[in-house]
Amino acid sequence: MEIDIEKLEKLSNLKVQNKEEIAHQLQDILEYVENLGELDTDAIESTFSTLEGGTPVREDVPVHSGVAQDVLKQAPNAQDDYFIVPNIIE
Amino acid sequence: MFEIVIGLEVHAQLNTKTKIFCSCPTSFNEHQNSNTCPTCLALPGALPVLNKEAVNKAMMFGHAVNATINEKSIFNRKNYFYPDNPKAYQISQFDVAIVEDGELMIDFEDGSSKRVGITRAHLEEDAGKNTHEANHSKVDLNRCGTPLLEIVSEPDMRSAEEAVLYLKKLHSIVRYLDISDANMQEGSFRCDVNISIRPEGQEEFGTRVEVKNMNSFKFINQAINYEVNRQIEAYEDGVYEQEVVQETRLFNTDTGETRSMRGKEESADYRYFPDPDLLPLIVTKADIEKAGNIPELPDEKKQRYIDELGIRAYDATVICADKAVANYFDEVLECGVSAKNAVNYLTNELNGLLNKEGLTIHESPIDAQKLGAIIKNLEDDTINGKGAKKLLEFLMGEQTEVDAAIEKLGLKQVSDDGAILAIIDEVLSNNEDKVEEYKGGKEKLFGFFVGQVMKASRGSANPAKVNELLREKLG
Ligand SMILES: [Zn+2]
Repeated sequence: MEIDIEKLEKLSNLKVQNKEEIAHQLQDILEYVENLGELDTDAIESTFSTLEGGTPVREDVPVHSGVAQDVLKQAPNAQDDYFIVPNIIE
Repeated sequence: MFEIVIGLEVHAQLNTKTKIFCSCPTSFNEHQNSNTCPTCLALPGALPVLNKEAVNKAMMFGHAVNATINEKSIFNRKNYFYPDNPKAYQISQFDVAIVEDGELMIDFEDGSSKRVGITRAHLEEDAGKNTHEANHSKVDLNRCGTPLLEIVSEPDMRSAEEAVLYLKKLHSIVRYLDISDANMQEGSFRCDVNISIRPEGQEEFGTRVEVKNMNSFKFINQAINYEVNRQIEAYEDGVYEQEVVQETRLFNTDTGETRSMRGKEESADYRYFPDPDLLPLIVTKADIEKAGNIPELPDEKKQRYIDELGIRAYDATVICADKAVANYFDEVLECGVSAKNAVNYLTNELNGLLNKEGLTIHESPIDAQKLGAIIKNLEDDTINGKGAKKLLEFLMGEQTEVDAAIEKLGLKQVSDDGAILAIIDEVLSNNEDKVEEYKGGKEKLFGFFVGQVMKASRGSANPAKVNELLREKLG
């Protein structure tokens, strides 16, 4: 499999300095797990989790967490209790 | 000739009290960012815990559309960067949805109907809201994490009309179930439309274009018609391949056109994978069965009205389409009036007045008890049909009791023989020439006498009585 490092940068929103080295490492990781493809899993139902049972559920009862002010205070930029982010071009 | 192929994806916000994965309230119009917590703000370490009621409402929907409800379904992560979504992924059921393989019937005005398949309905979370200003954007995360049911139809619709009928039926089902406010203006019921064309007889589908985020029946209709024309023109001009590409387009409500969002969604690569924070959603057969205890649906109600009350199919469809109208109708009937009068005074008279004022049934100044009282007065001959209409118009602008309004407008009809006879005598003596003509065979004049008597009584005489007494008098 070919590693498209530019695409990965875009998807992960990360800048990679030493592109070639990272691409090489990722290639190694993929090769390491590639032998899993040799298993015949046609007759086996997909496994989505290695844990037993289902996800727990909770009752529909509202709780005010009261953290908003603290979080807004920590935000890089906030105004009027809105988070302020760089202009999103529509 | 071309065949139009339409499929719809509807996002209905579920009206639970709390968000889907945290206990924040879902209340609308709150102060910005006040309904937030570590989970919906995506603070490190905060984990999602599924809301039982959201699952229950999804299952109720499954029952209502005769679907399969899966005992096991999966929550995936759909990865993308956008400031309305602090986790940088949306939790959505991708691999296995809770509801699959449903259907609903759409009804045409001529009484025929058509089945539309529902591929699946899955649970997911809504995003926050961005407001764009000159040099920055403001983010409010109150809506972030509100439960959504995304309902995906089969590409079974063949015209804008069918698409709108499907949406209206879906809207009505969701409202009857009371699983969503389904308020299109507030965005709690929004729709993406997939549109393609193909030459008649061609097996495979044409290229599908998606028009996103529509929230009015009128605009959906316009957008489909515009898009169909655009695609047909491109085909006929021999530039179909170049002009019609699989893409997302936006509808401009000012120009009535759709335009491409090309470039922006180009790299959409959501890299779905099962969310490691959430085990599969498992519901038991007993849970599924319990969720099947749903209220009467529009189609059932309509059939009951037709069978039990003898209402015409079309009138029944009109009344049942909106749960609020159907409830209003039931309340009018509880006043002990005939179904026929209730249908007429609700769907024609009151509805006409409400439309003129741009009001919904909720905002009607005349509540069901008042309309019932008006019809009662009509049925026991206290007022006549003309009086009932005058009374309705008056009560649209005035908060008065019905009896007091009848008194005030002088609408009480005179059924007393003596009083009517006195008026008849006066009318006949003022029109001796016409009486002669009538007796000479000009029977058409009977209507003239009735009119004169009604006029002399200023509309208050009981028309049936006037007819009866006039016949006696004129022999
Ligand atoms: Zn929250």
